[in-house]
This record gives sequence, structure tokens and C-alpha cells, in this order.
Amino acid sequence: MKDTAVQLDPVSLEVIRNALTAVAEEMSSVVMRAARSPLLREAGDHSSALTDAEGYLVAQGRDVPVHLGVLSFTVREFLNKVGRDALRPGDVWILNLPDVGGNHLPDVKLIRPIFHEGDLYAFSISLAHWADVGGAMPGSYYAAAFDCWQEGLRIPPVRLVAGDEIDEEKMGLILANVRGPAERRGDILAQISATTVAGRRLEELRLQYGVAFLKAAFEAIHDRAERQMREAIATIPDGVYEGEDFMDDDGHGGAPVAIRVKVTISGETASFDFTGTDNAVPGALNTTPFIAAAGVFYVMKALYGPDIQPSAGCYRPLSVVTRPGSILDPRSNVPVVGGNHETCQRVADAIFRALVPVAAEKLSAGGPTTAGLLIFSARNDEGDYSTFYEVHGGGEGARIDRDGMAVTRVHLANVMSTPVEVIETEYPLMVERQALRHGSGGKGAHVGGDGLHRVYRMLADNISLTTMFERAVVPAYGLEGGENGAPFEVHLQTKEGTQTKLPGKHNVTINRDDRVTVMSCGGGGYGLATD
Amino acid sequence: MSEWRLGIDIGGTFTDVIAVSPDGTNRRSAKVPSKPAEPVRAIVEAIAAVDLNWSDVGEIVHGTTIVTNDIVEQHFRPCALIATSGFADSIEIGRTSRRVLYRLDVTPKVAPLVPSDLRFEVEERLLADGSVLTELSDAEIDRVIAEIKATGVDTVAVCLLHAFQNPAHEIKLGEKLSEHFANVSLSHEISPEIREFERMSTTVLNAMMMGKIRAHLNRIDETKAENSLVHLMHSASGMATPDLIAERPLMLAMSGPAAGALATTEMARALGIQNALTFDMGGTTTDVCLIVNGRAEIAANRELGGQRIRLPMVAVDSIGAGGGSIARLVSGALEVGPRSAGATPGPACYGKGGTLPTVSDADIALGYLNPTRTLGGSVPLQPQLADKAIGALAAEMGFETRQAAVGITRVVHATMARALRRATVERGLDIRSFDLVAFGGAGPMHAVEVARICGIKTIVVPMFSSGFSALGCVDAAMSYSRQFTVNMKSKTWDQSRLDALLREETETLSRALVAAGHAAETLRVTHTAGIRYSGQSYETPIHDPAFDDLEALGAQFDAAHKAVYGYSTGETWELMTVRTEVSGPERELNNAEVPGGATTPAPVGHREVTFETGESANTPVYDRDALVVGEVLTGPLIVEDTWSTVVVPPRDTIRRDATGNLHIVVELDQ
Repeated sequence: MKDTAVQLDPVSLEVIRNALTAVAEEMSSVVMRAARSPLLREAGDHSSALTDAEGYLVAQGRDVPVHLGVLSFTVREFLNKVGRDALRPGDVWILNLPDVGGNHLPDVKLIRPIFHEGDLYAFSISLAHWADVGGAMPGSYYAAAFDCWQEGLRIPPVRLVAGDEIDEEKMGLILANVRGPAERRGDILAQISATTVAGRRLEELRLQYGVAFLKAAFEAIHDRAERQMREAIATIPDGVYEGEDFMDDDGHGGAPVAIRVKVTISGETASFDFTGTDNAVPGALNTTPFIAAAGVFYVMKALYGPDIQPSAGCYRPLSVVTRPGSILDPRSNVPVVGGNHETCQRVADAIFRALVPVAAEKLSAGGPTTAGLLIFSARNDEGDYSTFYEVHGGGEGARIDRDGMAVTRVHLANVMSTPVEVIETEYPLMVERQALRHGSGGKGAHVGGDGLHRVYRMLADNISLTTMFERAVVPAYGLEGGENGAPFEVHLQTKEGTQTKLPGKHNVTINRDDRVTVMSCGGGGYGLATD
Repeated sequence: MSEWRLGIDIGGTFTDVIAVSPDGTNRRSAKVPSKPAEPVRAIVEAIAAVDLNWSDVGEIVHGTTIVTNDIVEQHFRPCALIATSGFADSIEIGRTSRRVLYRLDVTPKVAPLVPSDLRFEVEERLLADGSVLTELSDAEIDRVIAEIKATGVDTVAVCLLHAFQNPAHEIKLGEKLSEHFANVSLSHEISPEIREFERMSTTVLNAMMMGKIRAHLNRIDETKAENSLVHLMHSASGMATPDLIAERPLMLAMSGPAAGALATTEMARALGIQNALTFDMGGTTTDVCLIVNGRAEIAANRELGGQRIRLPMVAVDSIGAGGGSIARLVSGALEVGPRSAGATPGPACYGKGGTLPTVSDADIALGYLNPTRTLGGSVPLQPQLADKAIGALAAEMGFETRQAAVGITRVVHATMARALRRATVERGLDIRSFDLVAFGGAGPMHAVEVARICGIKTIVVPMFSSGFSALGCVDAAMSYSRQFTVNMKSKTWDQSRLDALLREETETLSRALVAAGHAAETLRVTHTAGIRYSGQSYETPIHDPAFDDLEALGAQFDAAHKAVYGYSTGETWELMTVRTEVSGPERELNNAEVPGGATTPAPVGHREVTFETGESANTPVYDRDALVVGEVLTGPLIVEDTWSTVVVPPRDTIRRDATGNLHIVVELDQ
């Protein structure tokens, strides 16, 4: 730990931590209120953060586990890319390239450097999932994509606001390449406002405390998070633990893909080595090392330190190693859109499984570690798209002391489902059934939770359907002798009566009176069943 | 027989009462211990505590935590659910998201309200526009009734898909059900809004509360004098008749906070305050509610004890910090709350076995709380235990005891300021435009430093601050409100459909008030529209919407949207919901003067007090009743009454007004 000129006592540390978190929370409020993408407003798929001058995260507005991993790296990678000399007060940069501390194209980041008299002392950053970022399909999920260009507009770090003036030419270029330009402009303005509010609030804090104190506070926050993470790691017995879990396929229907981890616990430090993980894949399940780090952090916090404060300091005692060329560290330009929420969950699964020898009593058996995403998109008479995204939860894995719960979200995912009445009111769909998928939970001393059984009937022709789900081939695992849960299944029954099982990453056009039946995965059981 | 009017707020620990004499000039207040098992006995004792008999009582309005506590503690009566065929499991599926992000041991959702063996389905189906796809047959109704009767339950909730658009099937079912079951709730009556899970859980919870509330109401009816009227304080800051509450007991879910919000609204009206933030600091939580432009903010959807409730209720934010919040050193930072010592063992200074330092212990160590006073008239405070608990923490931090106590208050103030700020910025409001209204046991002790962090200049500590919710009950006018789904686009506006909906809703709501004896022409009707741009997920509330002028309504919406979100687009919009409130005549403003002292009072004592800045002073303590009306006193000083303590740090000022409220002006840093 570094020496700092100003020492913070335990009271000042907690007071300033609250003040900085309040700034990040206000950023989130601004985005929540002003953004136009329904994903941001209804599902809360956005994050805000403050970082220090080096780009290390010090405060987060809302806790979205997968974003913490990303935001801990975005500003640093951004700095590496553009260089400190390019930064000026009153500028806001935009970017979404996965390589630059990113994840997938729909998560667009806006970054504002914050200065006092020429001294750069902080950044504010807003990340938001846009409902569309261009590319081959409305909603920017293209299951058949074989490169990243098909997934949408790729934005390297670009100075979108210069001296507090929006550069309308750059804005125009972005808006010309995304669907729903008016809404996307609303999203951008909301994100810019969030970074601006943060700048103003930090200035108020600077007036009150001074720059030296703020810098010392940032350092103290990192140190504390580091200490909390060290304390958490110290509770795990030293040793080397290996685990693996599998993606259903390579994104294009090929064989399952292994995520392998070697966890080495040594005193207060831990390394997570993913070198043994399989190569990058042709489909959209690739992801970035930043997402792998998000998976690591989630597991550590959930198992060993629920009170650890989110800050880049958490990562100091952790090392996360990914192999260039693997699915977690692919070369540029491969498709990545699904990796963000599918592969990151499998990273967590692989770590959980590695830790079975030392943490079986803390673990849940396998659960619905997939978004279970279906996107229905209909084009109306004016040529606009009406796009319905829906995530489908499944059965929770059982635990040593209880059964898994039916139909929920686990680990790095927590988006709500859409009410049937809202679906039927707003989209040309009818839901004919919404029930538990009885008996889908894995058997065991405690049984896994049941999945969902939902039936959609199309009320219009030419609806494009995209699937993006996992746990169809490799089901949710049982633990300690418990059985696996039932696999995720989606069936298409045309009005003529032909029935097909749809692959987990697929695009298909369907028509009036066709039916899509979702039977989401059941959770794994825990312990040997007694009968 | 005289006609006193009483407000009685039955809380978890104490029951507060305020009685107003028939001519309005005499006001009495008292506090008696609550009797969770016999709430009616608490009412009887409260009446006696203000030296009255039932024969003196013209009217009682009472607030109660019965429903709140049952929901939080999950005391539920078994209830059968009837849903559209294919959808009964919705009560277990919910919205699928989990409650706690980083805890695998905590169940992701609360247990379903209705177990699978009490879920029933009927063959029937409406489409999204309310048209009938499948009729509900009499045979189906008879079948389901027979099946439910076989289970032995006496309580049934009905929630059919799209019933808010067309209630015909629910009405048909309801008529038959009421012949067989004691307690029946229909979703289109309880919460006529889109979103089947929220409507379903709201309807089920309502049905589950019916039995207990009806028994409570019957007991009051048996106890009271024949001519005494009894009304109840409901969650949207109005009062309702026992007849209505017997059908809609869930309206009591936020009864207590609603009374506090109403008392604040009325006080703000009397004092000419536009925007107020309530600051009701209790033992485990601090409740915050916004009064904006003279109206308490109403939310249509909230979670209580993990359950979704969709009814108009005051928008109360509960902060997990209060007098009982425990301070501990966690990895080098002093954290305060959310863990609380609760009522048992309570703060260390209660001497009931608690050894961990709490905010109340800091209050006593710093000299805020009078060390010689007794708690609720029974438990003497033990300052040495507070010092011991804080001393241990101080040693851990390398601090002096008082320095550690200051640290505890600084952290709890920072936590609260962050929550207050969040409550305002979420609504696009500037916290500096608010006055802070501090009440509850500990509110007036901590209000000044919280206000200073937030940049709030003015604090009001109201008359009857420790029984403020009871005052809200006294102030309540009869009202009944519901929110219903309209879903009408500006492009395809159907004025006659809207007019019919408004007329029908107004008639439905008015019937309950007319039945309570109000003349129809004295009723006030207000609407709040929920409008959004097409494609948005959330509605913006529009008060007093111009329903008869589409263009004016659009302009109202654009203006309100700009105020909250910072922009408006002039795009097509849709009217999603209307909340209609029908209320009886407004109560007269309480301008009753309360005489103060004649000459500048002498302090009743002095004690050594340490303030947030770390400075200590031998601080004068004044008796609240002795303060002279209009006289400005400058801190450091403390004002005490029987139940609460007001702390005024150095350089801040305090003044008592003619109606007994205290006004504190905070010295802001910039």
C-alpha cells in the first residue's frame, strides 16, 4: 500500500465514501430518468462510476455485477489508447469497442475527465445498454454473425463533446448508423448529463475538502477494498483448485466449449488462471478479459465478502490470467454480443465448481446461468421496428440446506421479466400459458427449482425471432450427488403443425399463428436423493 | 356529551393520541404503550390518557400498523387464488428477479403467497383490449367453487388476465363466491391496473388481511359509544370508513407514514411552505417523504416485506439507519447500520443487555440526550453503559470516547444525507429548495447536521413532534383514491371513452363517501394523469390534467416532462393511467395559537455537549413550553419537551412561532 500525504481516519473515510457514492448514484438517477432505451429504464441495464486520475474505479452508482468488472478497466484502457495529453476540461468521450475496456457493442460508455486548474484528478463514466447500436438485426443481436462488424457500429474513443459543446457532426455519424436515432440521441444526452452532473458535484466536494484530500480519499478507498478482498481470500484454505464448465456450443452449433480455471489461493492473494480455456469461437459467445474479471469478482464477493465495497482496489490481491486467442481473450473483431451475459456466467460456474472441495456448504448447485433471451421483432407499416426483448429465468440450484426456488435469475444476471398483459398490449403476440415447468429441477436430497413454461403465439406475419440461450446442451449441474436440472428447450410449432426444436443461437422468421414454446432450464439438485 | 375529535396512531411500541376540543381551542396529547395483541385496548387507554371518556368522543381517526406488521412478519391467513387457465403459477413466478445480489444463502424471492394446492384456474380468456376470446361458463364457476370449498379456506382472491379492461368475468365469479366464502377480493376492484403479477399479489394480500381487520373493526364497534364515529387513516393520506376498510384492508399498509405526511402537508399549508422533506427518525429506520408544491408525493407501486403492492400510497423512503443502528469498524472504516440493536437488546444505554455501540449511545455520550431522563417513563437511561460500549470502539480506532461518538454521528448523518439526496434527485428536484420537517423521537436531535450536509437552510420541528402522526389523523379529511389503466394514445384519442371512464370511476369512489354521510355536492374530485411518450416505460404524473383539451394536456405533459427529465420532445404520447381521488371537505387549518413564555426563559439546566465539529460547550437546556413566541435564540443550546430533544449547534438559530412550531435556521458553509 502506498503512502499518502493526507491520512484518512475511519470516520472521514466513511463520510467521503458516502459523498462519492451519492455522486455516482445521482449519475444513475439522471440516466434512469432521461434515457430513452427501455432496457435502461425498465431493466436498469446501466451503470455509473467515478474513477481516480489513473482510471481506477472509486465509486459505483448502482450495483450491476457485470458492469463493475468492465468499468474497473474502461477508463484505464481508454487512457492507454488516447494518452493523457489528449484530455482537456469540458470534453466528453464516447466509445464501445470491446478491446478498449469493453464487453459488447450495445454497452456504450461516455467518459469525462475532471480537472482542477489543469490538474486531472478524476473521471466520471456512464455505461448504458442501448436498445440498438446498428448491425444486421434490429436490437443488434445477430446469432449468425461471424464478425463484430455485423453486430453494429464500432466506436473507438471519440471526443463527442469538446469544451462543453456537442460535436454535431460526430453525433450525426453515430445516429445515422443506429435504429431509432431520436431515442439514441436521448440516450447519449442522458449519459452526457450524467457525466456533467458528476463533474459539478465533484467540484463541490473539491471546494469543501481540497484536491489533496480527494486524492487521498481515492487511495484510502482502494486500500480498504484491497484489505477487504485480502481478508476474504484469507478465509479460503491455501491450495490449487481446478474447475470447468461448458458453453453449449461455439455459437454456430458446434461442440461444447470449455471454460477452465485453475484457482491458486496463497495466503491473502488469489490467482484465477483461465489458460486452459478453449479457443475463441466463430459465433457471438466470445468475450473480453474484463468480463472474465467481472466473473471472478462476483464469485469472491458472493462466497466470501458480500460487504466488500466495489472499487478497483478489490483487484489488487487478485490476478486474472487469460490466454490470448481463447474465448475470454480473443483477437479483435470477433463477434461478442452474447458473451457478455452467457460466457461471463460460465466463468462464474467454472470457479464455483473449482471451489467445491473447500466451499461445498456455501455453494448452490447449477442454476439458469443464461439470459434465456428471445427477441421478437416486427416491422410496422411505417417501416419502424417494434422489438420485444425478453429474458427467461429458470430454476435456482439447490443448496445444502434448502431446495432451489422456481423461475428466478442468478449470479451476474438480474433483469426482470415482462408482464403478460404488457406483452399482449404492446406487441403482436399472445401468451397462451405461463406456468412452472413441473419436475424440471434436478433430483437430490434438496431438489433444484423448476423452470418456466411459457407459450407465445404470433399475431402477425414476418416476425423475426432471435434466440440467445444456453443450458440447452450442457444442463445446470447437480452438486454432491444431486442430479442435473432439465435442459433449456425452445420449440417452434408452425401453424401447419411442424414442430422444431430451436438452437440456442438462431435467427428465424415466423408468422401468424406459429407458436414458440419456452421451457427454461431447471436448477441442479444437491446431495443424493434418498428414495 | 361533548364532541371531541381524536387522532390515535397505534405504532409498534407506543400509541400516540391527540385530542381536539369541540371548539378547536384545546388540544391535548399523550402517549401510552401499544398492546400488539389488543389494539383496541390501546385506544381505550389513549382516550383515558387525555382525560376523556367514550361519551366525550365525537370522532376518532386512527392509524395502525396491524397490516404493515403482518405483511413484514409474514402473518398470512390461507387464501385460495383463482386465475385464468394457464396462469395461476404467476403468483410464484413473479417478475423473476432476485432480492439480494450477492447472497446465495438468501432465497432469491420470498415464498409464494399462495401454495400450489390453493391455486385454481378457470377456463376463460380476454384479449388485451378487453374483448372476450373464451366465455366464463356457470359450470366452470360451480366447479371451482366446489373445489375450493373442499380445501376448507374461507378467503378467495380472483385475478383474471386483462380484467382491468373488462371486469365482467370477475364480477360474475365474485357474485357466486360471496355466497360461499367470507372474504373475497377481485383484482379489478382492488387494483384496476395492467401488470398481472402486481395486481394478483395486491389482491391476494388484500384478501388475506380481511379476516383480521374485520375482527378489529368489530371489536371497536362493540367498545365505542354508539354515537362516536370511527374512521381509519389509509396509505394515501386520507381517512376511510370502517365499511370501506373492511373490503380494502390493504389500504392500511402505510397508514402510519401516511399520517406523518399528512400532518406535514397541513403544517406546510398553514406556514406557507412549498416543498418539505419529512425526517422521521425512529429506532431502526428513518422515514423520508417528499411534499412538493404542497402535495405529498404518492407512489402507485411499492415493495413491503418483499411483497409487491400496487395501490396509491405516500411515497415513503425508509433509510436503514436510526437510533438503534450499530456502529462498527469494518476493514478500517466506521460503518453505522444497517444492522440495528432493535428494541431488544436495544442500545447499550438502555441497560437491557446490549453491548454494541449505537447512534443513541453516541447521543448520550455527546450530551445530546438528557442522561437523567427515563425512556418511555419506565426505563432509566444508563450513560455509563453507553460510554463503555463506545469506549471499546474508540480504542479500536485509536480515538477518545467523545471523538468516536462524534464519528458515529458524522457517519450516520452522511448516510442519511445521501439517502435524502437520492430521494430528491430521482424526481429531478433540487434538495436546497426544501425545508426539512423533523419529528419522531430522534429526528429533531440529528436534523441540523443532516440539513447542513444537504444544503438545506430551514428546519421545522412541529408542535406535537413526538406524536406527529396522531396529529395527521386529526387533520385527515375523508378520501378514497384508486389508480386505473387507460392506455390511450394522443394520436387515436377517444374523448368519449375517457369521459366515460372518469365518470364511472368518480361515481364508484363517491359512493363510499356518500354512504359515509357526505353530501355529493360537497365532494372534491381530483385526477392525476400518468402520461409517457410512446416507447417509454415510466409515466410522468400530471396533476389536475386538462382532460377536456387534448392540446393543453399535451402541453402540460411536455412541461412536466421537461421539469423532471430536463427535456421534452413533442412526440406522440399516451395516457397510461389515471389516479382519481374523491375527498370530503377540507379540514379547517389549525391556526390555534399556543401561548409561549412571557419573558426570555432561564435555562432549566446546563450540560457539556460535544458538537459535530468536535467543539464542546457548556450548553444551556431550555424547556420547550417556556420559549417566547418570536424570540430568536442562537446555539449552542438544547430544547427539551417530555418526549423529544432538539439540538441546536453553535451559530445556528431557533425561533418558536405562535402555533408552537420551532424554526431552526442552519448556517450553511457556502
